[in-house]
Amino acid sequence: MKRAAAWILACVVALATAPTAFAYLKLGVRQGSRLITLRWNAMPIRYFITNRDVPNVTAPQLRDAVGRGFASWAAVPNVTISSEFVGFTGFSPVSGDNATVLGFSNRPELDRVLGSTSFTVDTVTGEIVESDVFFNSAFAWSAATPGETDRQDIGSIALHEIGHLLGLGHSMLGETQLFSGGRRVLGAEAVMFPIAFSPGTLNRAPRADDIAGISDIYGTDTFRNTTGSITGRVTKNGSGVIGAHVITFNPASGRLIGGFTLSQDGTFTIAGIEPGPQLVRVEPLDDGDIASFLDTSLNIDVDFRPAFYSRLVTVPRRGTSRSIEIAVVAK
Amino acid sequence: MRRLALCASLLILPVALHATVILPIEFRELVTSSAVIVHGRVTDARSAFVDERRSVETFVTLDVDEYFKGNLGHHVTFRVPGGQIGRYKTVFIGAPEFAEGDEVVLFLKTAGGGIPFVTGLSQGAFRVLPDAASGRKVVTTPIVMGKSTGGVETIVRGDPTRRPLPIESFRDAVRQVLAEAARQ
Repeated sequence: MKRAAAWILACVVALATAPTAFAYLKLGVRQGSRLITLRWNAMPIRYFITNRDVPNVTAPQLRDAVGRGFASWAAVPNVTISSEFVGFTGFSPVSGDNATVLGFSNRPELDRVLGSTSFTVDTVTGEIVESDVFFNSAFAWSAATPGETDRQDIGSIALHEIGHLLGLGHSMLGETQLFSGGRRVLGAEAVMFPIAFSPGTLNRAPRADDIAGISDIYGTDTFRNTTGSITGRVTKNGSGVIGAHVITFNPASGRLIGGFTLSQDGTFTIAGIEPGPQLVRVEPLDDGDIASFLDTSLNIDVDFRPAFYSRLVTVPRRGTSRSIEIAVVAK
Repeated sequence: MRRLALCASLLILPVALHATVILPIEFRELVTSSAVIVHGRVTDARSAFVDERRSVETFVTLDVDEYFKGNLGHHVTFRVPGGQIGRYKTVFIGAPEFAEGDEVVLFLKTAGGGIPFVTGLSQGAFRVLPDAASGRKVVTTPIVMGKSTGGVETIVRGDPTRRPLPIESFRDAVRQVLAEAARQ
């Protein structure tokens, strides 16, 4: 609660200063001019666990952590998600077996990657023939309920990767800091923030931004009937800005949800927002690995200063706000 | 397992993107931990099965313009996970993708004399594009680096001092870090 309050305070303070912000994206694969969006159409999602232990985490413990991860996403109100553990397998979580496998794999060449999700897509039909999640056994892991110092929490990382497996991309809802010898996460209000917390830190429950994202993909009519969206455009010198991070903040609830401008004309639409007045802020993705969020062929513009829309924007239930335009200026 | 299919009826625009959980790299660490730092243009990218046909990787060849650190010759080939073979595309989420003609600065590592790979997955890949206003080549991803080597510093998005750099300034920043490291 303290951290949530700190984030709310940060966003309010943002009216006068320039802090960081938040968002969700959905996962897709570009094939030529076509975009294949990743979504499971049939439930339950059936998966295997690689029968391989690593120090401090056995395969059954991984199975349990993955099961809890799926359950956490399925527990989001008004979404339709279910999963089924099929069994243990000797296969590693790599492509080529036509099965969804999650497990540990030793990938020393992926020197900074704790875990990752992959998809194999039939580019002719758009079907996804396989998805796998690997956790890099080159790192130290923990399955302990309270976490363990100097070890990454498998439950937290599994929840993040299962979010990808379900079709969620990354959230920018997080803040980092530099310290002597490296960079670390200061705080995050999304499981889908791509940068890992320091070892020993837990991040095991979807937050508002994650919930909006997963609901946007798997939400029922109840979800769509009780939320609304904001649409608008971000411009610089009159032209659209692509790759701008747009955040909505509900002052009443403190919930933060966001998205990106994803086309050359700088337009955006952010769905799954609580009805009512919202504060809207725009900022550049200038502190991170752009490829972690967006297709780098989009020619992302990061050369502008953060800006706020001058008024609160009212989001209607089951509808879209009037279109707004936020003009930004170059740094 | 063909139970996933594309869905077009989504409320917001989808986007092609990459995603994984990474340990972040500060710029100084990126420079010092990489064996090779090279600026060049992609001339070839082809995918192949590896690991007894159980994984797909893409082998990317770069026509070298300049080495900022190390030297692997006029052309360098490195590997990235994922790729496309025939109609099947394997997307390794978080891995950078390269196409012929891309101009990049790459931070590479080698392990055991094998084919180099990009440091920190996509964290070690910086795109070079002409600046829309000046036409000068700029490295589009800003450097995330502390103002000093000590102390704690919160990274603020939109910091006006963090901008895409002309390729010459980017090279100078790399060399400055290398010089500092050599003095320590």
